[in-house]
Amino acid sequence: MPEATTTARPAAPPTAFVPARVGLWSSYRTLLRWQLGQAGSDLPMIVVIQALLAAGVVIGFGFLIPDISPESALFLSTGTPTVLLMVVGLTIVPQGVVRARTDGTFTYLRSLPVARPLLLLADLTVWLVVALPSVAVAVIVADLRYDLTLAFDWPLLIAASLLVTVTATAVGYAIAVTFAPMMAQVLSQVLVFFVMLFSPITFPASQLPGWFQSVHDVLPIRPAADLLRAGLVSGTYDASLRDLVVLVVWCVAGLALSTRALVRRA
Amino acid sequence: MSADVLAVDGITRRFGAVVANDQVTLRVRAGEVVGLLGHNGAGKTTLVSQVVGLLRPDAGTIRVGDIDAVADPAGARRRVALQAQAQAPINGLTPRTAIELAGRIRGLSPRRARAAAEELAAELDILPWIDQKALPDGGGLSGGVRRLTSFAMTVVAPTPLVVLDEPTNDIDASRRRRLWDAVRRIGDEGAGVLLVTHNVVEAERVVDELVVLDRGKVVAAGSPAALRGSQDTDLRLELQLHPGGADPSEVLDAVPVPVPRRVRPGRRVLLPAPAAQAAAAVAWATALREGGALDGYALAPATLEDAYLAVTTSEASDEAVTEEQSRA
Repeated sequence: MPEATTTARPAAPPTAFVPARVGLWSSYRTLLRWQLGQAGSDLPMIVVIQALLAAGVVIGFGFLIPDISPESALFLSTGTPTVLLMVVGLTIVPQGVVRARTDGTFTYLRSLPVARPLLLLADLTVWLVVALPSVAVAVIVADLRYDLTLAFDWPLLIAASLLVTVTATAVGYAIAVTFAPMMAQVLSQVLVFFVMLFSPITFPASQLPGWFQSVHDVLPIRPAADLLRAGLVSGTYDASLRDLVVLVVWCVAGLALSTRALVRRA
Repeated sequence: MSADVLAVDGITRRFGAVVANDQVTLRVRAGEVVGLLGHNGAGKTTLVSQVVGLLRPDAGTIRVGDIDAVADPAGARRRVALQAQAQAPINGLTPRTAIELAGRIRGLSPRRARAAAEELAAELDILPWIDQKALPDGGGLSGGVRRLTSFAMTVVAPTPLVVLDEPTNDIDASRRRRLWDAVRRIGDEGAGVLLVTHNVVEAERVVDELVVLDRGKVVAAGSPAALRGSQDTDLRLELQLHPGGADPSEVLDAVPVPVPRRVRPGRRVLLPAPAAQAAAAVAWATALREGGALDGYALAPATLEDAYLAVTTSEASDEAVTEEQSRA
């Protein structure tokens, strides 16, 4: 292009380019539509996986216990929602986030003109939508198998479901953005086994050695299970304030690490 | 107020021992398309990442309009639209939805975003796919349509600075032309465009200014004409060597024309030849070919690519030679 054309071009009117300030709510809604659109095709698949997993835990673990007593059946069944939420949060979430990190999605979203914590908020919302049906799916499957007597404490059940889902998702997200992608993948796989076999969710903590019980006192898994259980069969099981505190600490830590990874420049 | 929409001054960024950007300085003015050329690994994407606040520079300043992009990356991001080299995340979405959402993110009204999506799809000739969903693992939409959708998402709302990182990858020739026309239009409408590419030949057609980056450093900058370094009447003599054959222009005295620079990409040797000395150059090359010293030769108008190769390859090969000499 000849130089003359360049210099002759009139300067742009600066007013035309004052960038619009988009409100947080509007940005959030747009991001949410974006993320939901993307997750949309995976959603039915994830619900099917949850149902299969629920059946696996409720029915499969039942085989491990010969002549299962109604008490054991109730304990197993009321632990199942926690297993599902933890598996979604600690395994499926990190795998999704790792994929977003490696295929450029993460970078792309971070280069958009939105407050970066909103990216996490939109992601969390999508995962809530994905994970929350777990609780219902697990309870329905368990009820079909064992004919349970449940006593819902609705406010507690709803609050616990939300807190456990957000905590599991935030911790899973933090794992995915903190470790190298390969490491995060491996860790998320190992966590499935830890949650399913080495965590007192489907069996009482008293069956674990003392030192391992103490470990689970500071991890979020048993407190999550106890809290949800108390919401499902109030009166029979109860949760302590300490459980709530442990969960909240993990939740805040997960959110803080995830936000930091989104906001900070390398 | 300066008309610079992007002013990068002395940007340095290291990754461990590697200096990805070494004192890079460049300007993009409103209404101007600036090409940022360089080989793979020259530091182009690193530079762009600092402009949009994905990376923090070790030294130097970046201003996007009136905003200090290092101190206020969020403010800078509102003034920059980036088409990254990776495909935009649009799986599960149709191009129409994706472009609309991108417009909404940048503050367009729903009605304006809808209209802009249609206009851009028509301009880029992707209307037949506008309502077709992109599926995971590359299904649903071809790479080219995805890339054009990314481009449309980037330019859907007016932004002072548009950064395009290899925007024509995967795109067929006819739509590539449409994309270049769109890039030119956006510049003409007053945005500054920083066009990152390694496609010198195509870039030459749309850019006003060029900056050549080589191993993190700016090795050349200027208009395409200035960068070509010679008048448009100048020619280029290309010698095609035999496999493993010696380069007859190595002894500069043997060459009948002045040799200000010599580039040797593979088995080709490129020599600039002033038009007045074309006859002498051809005679020399013909004699060489007849003597069996050459596979063939060609005389053609000098191009920007020659200049580009001269500032990038020649240095690399010089260094390689120096290295060999020092080892010997």
